[in-house]
Amino acid sequence: RGFSSQSEGEARVSRVLREKFPRASSIRVVDISGGCGAMYEIHIESEDFREKRTVQQHQMVNQALSEEIKSMHGLRIFTSTPKP
Amino acid sequence: MSRVVWAAWRLGIATARGLAGRPLSQAATGASEGGGAEGGGGGSASREAVERLVRAHPVVVFMKGSPEQPLCGFSNAVVQILRLHGVEDYNAHDVLQDPDLRQGIKNYSNWPTIPQVYLNGEFVGGCDILLQMHQNGDLVEELKKLGIRSALLDAEKDQDKK
Repeated sequence: RGFSSQSEGEARVSRVLREKFPRASSIRVVDISGGCGAMYEIHIESEDFREKRTVQQHQMVNQALSEEIKSMHGLRIFTSTPKP
Repeated sequence: MSRVVWAAWRLGIATARGLAGRPLSQAATGASEGGGAEGGGGGSASREAVERLVRAHPVVVFMKGSPEQPLCGFSNAVVQILRLHGVEDYNAHDVLQDPDLRQGIKNYSNWPTIPQVYLNGEFVGGCDILLQMHQNGDLVEELKKLGIRSALLDAEKDQDKK
């Protein structure tokens, strides 16, 4: 699969995440609905998630994307912390 | 839960919400009615009603479809994971049958998606989190806290014997 271009939806979601998680060391957003913008997979690595339970980490992402989520059918979230 | 207790519970909720016969999905009976005009909730189940549901059983799942027939891949994943651990006795609520519950459970947990898994009344997460817990062994531990012995523990023992 080529990564030469990002869909508009992926770019927008990435931008919102970069704004809300300035400390993030890695952000990857993939449209897994075949480009329809209906479902996204989000991978985000940040110090913000350290010492927090997974459900809390995911809540942080949910809050950050509350507007964008309204127009999504679903999303998958994978959070992690950078290796110390 | 006996029929009498279940009927009383339903009436109790109906009374609390000021509406007779208001449905909140019940997977055990498969009984469900379409949503009608909502009185005071503005179209979503009250916190108290949802609270009662999440506390009704150690394992409660809000999903699309039923454990016998999930209607969504993520809901199906939750059912399959629980089945792997030998957990077949739980309360499953089909949010597709009850739009008020569908919105109410999202408000309650402040979580935008279905499925939602509750262990001992506490929101644990959706499909991705349950999968992660299954893979890293946390699910076996959490079930143990509820007094449920995961079937995978016995499966491992069988393997060791061979």
